[in-house]
Amino acid sequence: MSFILRRFGFYFTAFLIAISFNFMLPRLMPGDPVEALFAAAQGRMDPAQMDAVREMYGFLDGNIFEQYLAYMKSVFTLDLGPSVLMFPVGVADVIAMALPWTMFLALGSLIVALIIGVSIGTYASYHRNGFFGQVVPPVLAFISNFPYIVTALLLFYVFGLKLDLLPLAYTYDPSLDPGFNWEFISSVAKHAVLPVGSMVLVGIATWVFNMRNAMINVLGEDYVTMAEAKGLSDMRVMSRYAGRNAILPVATAIAMAIGFSFAGSIMTEVVFNYQGLGNILLKGIVARDYPLIQAILLILVTAVLTANFIADLLYVWLDPRISN
Amino acid sequence: MSNLLEINNLCVDYVSPNGVARAVNNVSLSIAPGETLGIAGESGCGKSTLAFAISRLHKAPALISEGEIIYNGQDVLKMNNKQLRDFRWNDVSVVFQSAMNSLNPVITIGEQLTDVIMAHKKVSQKQADERAIELLNIVGIHGDRLGSFPHQLSGGMRQRVVIAIALALEPKLIIMDEPTTALDVVVEREILNELYDLKTKFGFSILFISHDLSLMGEIADRIGVMYAGNLIELGEAKEVFGKPQHPYTKGLIASFPTIHGPKERLYGIPGNPVNLLEIPQGCNFQARCGRCQDSCHQFEPSLKLTQKGHQVSCHLVEEVAAC
Amino acid sequence: MEKIMNNDLVLEPSSPLKKLKSLLKQCYAFFYGNPPAIIGGLLLSIVLAGALFAPALATHNPEKRVARPHVAPNAEHIMGSTRSGRDVYSQVLHGGRKSLSVAISAGVIAMTLAVLVGVSSGYFGGKIDERLNFLTNVFLVFPQLPLLIVLAAFLGQVGSLVITILLGVTSWPWGARVIRAQTMAIRSKEFIISAEVMGESKWRIILVEILPNLVSIVFGGFLGAVLYAMGAEAGLGILGLGDATEVSWGSMLYWAQTSSALYTGAWWEMMVPAIALAITGGALALINMSIDQVSNPKLRTGPHMKLWRQLKKQADIRRGLR
Repeated sequence: MSFILRRFGFYFTAFLIAISFNFMLPRLMPGDPVEALFAAAQGRMDPAQMDAVREMYGFLDGNIFEQYLAYMKSVFTLDLGPSVLMFPVGVADVIAMALPWTMFLALGSLIVALIIGVSIGTYASYHRNGFFGQVVPPVLAFISNFPYIVTALLLFYVFGLKLDLLPLAYTYDPSLDPGFNWEFISSVAKHAVLPVGSMVLVGIATWVFNMRNAMINVLGEDYVTMAEAKGLSDMRVMSRYAGRNAILPVATAIAMAIGFSFAGSIMTEVVFNYQGLGNILLKGIVARDYPLIQAILLILVTAVLTANFIADLLYVWLDPRISN
Repeated sequence: MSNLLEINNLCVDYVSPNGVARAVNNVSLSIAPGETLGIAGESGCGKSTLAFAISRLHKAPALISEGEIIYNGQDVLKMNNKQLRDFRWNDVSVVFQSAMNSLNPVITIGEQLTDVIMAHKKVSQKQADERAIELLNIVGIHGDRLGSFPHQLSGGMRQRVVIAIALALEPKLIIMDEPTTALDVVVEREILNELYDLKTKFGFSILFISHDLSLMGEIADRIGVMYAGNLIELGEAKEVFGKPQHPYTKGLIASFPTIHGPKERLYGIPGNPVNLLEIPQGCNFQARCGRCQDSCHQFEPSLKLTQKGHQVSCHLVEEVAAC
Repeated sequence: MEKIMNNDLVLEPSSPLKKLKSLLKQCYAFFYGNPPAIIGGLLLSIVLAGALFAPALATHNPEKRVARPHVAPNAEHIMGSTRSGRDVYSQVLHGGRKSLSVAISAGVIAMTLAVLVGVSSGYFGGKIDERLNFLTNVFLVFPQLPLLIVLAAFLGQVGSLVITILLGVTSWPWGARVIRAQTMAIRSKEFIISAEVMGESKWRIILVEILPNLVSIVFGGFLGAVLYAMGAEAGLGILGLGDATEVSWGSMLYWAQTSSALYTGAWWEMMVPAIALAITGGALALINMSIDQVSNPKLRTGPHMKLWRQLKKQADIRRGLR
């Protein structure tokens, strides 16, 4: 239990650091931060709204600590301000529309890559000396280490443009309305194939290698030999004795992979014009919509921290030695 | 009385990037029902390799290249997978050196007891649990501990659990690979005493592997000594311990200090263990033996009977006709 | 069971000449019978040679307009031309120079920091370890690319030097964590304890005893850092956050993107830098993978397995099982 509390404390501290970073960012820029922030507004905001933003940012009179506290307050009350780019839609609303798609892309591809990768890795560890063990891992290592952007571009070009097999942009056919009907869901699925596919290709190798190496280490342990000496079925030895232990180092790798996955999703969204946070982030950068950019960063960081915490919980569940 | 297990001319090889090493070279021995056979020798002499071969636990790059292991009229090395699975644990069980390492750290000891029971017998989970509690009680552990994980038990308790698992199917032979090396002397004594009681009660044979020759002198009926893959001496425990014939065994016994009697100078055995990838022509022990003659450098010795039941593999020893 | 075949690395100090010889021997052993390492090494050498000898190998000045826009690959421009009429082949060579030097420098910065933090943390332990480890974990848990993107956005268009420093300063945690673990493992080995008891100074211990044993993971980490930095530079580049006026693989992607190269059928403008990145990334990964296999002997499978299979077959035949 204390392990969980310590981890939560760590993540909370990291969250506070992220907020502080966000707080500092506009003040890092040369010149008057407030003016620069509104340069992009180009007169579309009236003074009252500009004041509201000032307040949200903590650009009040008062020393830096008071400003910091004011900013913290606005973060915790989810007052993220109006978006300059999508004015008059508020930043919080913009994010609310895009966040689910990014979560879907980042976490969905992580899970798919994990399942496929762990299976291939397990198989490669038994057939260590055969085709599967010798040829497949290096080939996957090669393909997986194309930078995210490259894989996305290659898939985009080959399957999207040239072969025209799958849709190239958007999360679903824009002419459809969202709803729990087959047409919508199948459109989402079709539009997800290339982006998720590209992320899975990049992500799969780490799982293959992690699982393969973990299995090879575990298969050399005495308790596996004893399980065989007990005359247990191969299935049981491989799953309950070997696999159950090999999954532990893999579970610790999940935490790191989450961060990578969210980062990669940004690139993928840009290439496929997928309407997630990454895409909006880019548009915000081009339009100099600083409130939006900062808010997205904060949300992304929060999503990653939360996912990491859940991964820690998963690990506690898997390894009985930790909770003591 | 026919033997429980007969090992004939067993050879086990290791294929390494640097060559093929013969870890067990032409070893033959037998185990009678109810006897305790000890195999002694230094690290790397092949005693564990020999023991694991009985249950066919070796994996690549190890290979059982020659010989046979006859149990109940069947050659274990020729069994198919199903027969092998039936044989394992039902007839022969194994207690490994480190109980901590031989227990799966992420499942309960209860499950590790019941899974072997249910793999071999058609019983319900409930029946298996009852039997598991029975087994724990036999080794002196409370049935409450069924849901504990290995790391929650003390070293001595873990060793007892492993012994309980070994007894689960009432095998005829239990192989023990250095079962007490990792324990302190007090616990070691307790465990060995309990073991003896269990043996008397259930009547199984024990193949006891250890480098501790003096321990073996106390608990074994017969002792075999291995060096560099060869069985160099085999006989009744009293004979091997009291009247060792092979220079190596003599050296081993001489290097044990005794509490009784006057202080004596200790003599070790000079030199280093043989590199199995570069075995010499002739006797493997020649580099460290003080008394080689010509034949030692040329021909490999083999086991000869010297007196009733006592076999030695050395050119210096005269063979006596079998009685 | 495996006591006979003890392939454990023996960690002991030895003379410099012996070390060099054993290093060369290790390099040879690394490549021998290891197709992924050979392929990776070959590809990487080609890429590095191309980048190194770019001025000599390029056919045109990469920054000058030398052809009509979007000319398809032909004899004169073997990889075609960009929207602004520049030679793609010359660009990819010079761009490689830029991208690789950014990636390699970032890798050096990152690994230097990683070694400093990791070794201090692992060797000194205590409060120093607590603080450094916390710092490492915090860095690790933040998603780095979004952070970089936002930083770059706030700083405006930045030159490659700033990008290099940014990348180096944000990617040290991965290496630091591994180095810390390894340092702690080595630290508890007896030869370190005996050196300390003998009164050897801490710095000497670190330099002479610990660092040499970290070489393979530091090098592996370095390759990983270079790989990451290269990908990040490309990512930042295509988003327009790098310096689009310098020729690098990232900026090539950017210009290809803004000129809708893929849609207009001028696939070479986009695909050439993409493939260059792909090959380099893949090659680095193959070498990294091979290094991992070498440091963990259990993962290695060699020609002796073939022999084992043969011998097993013979033994089975003798027993009448086949």
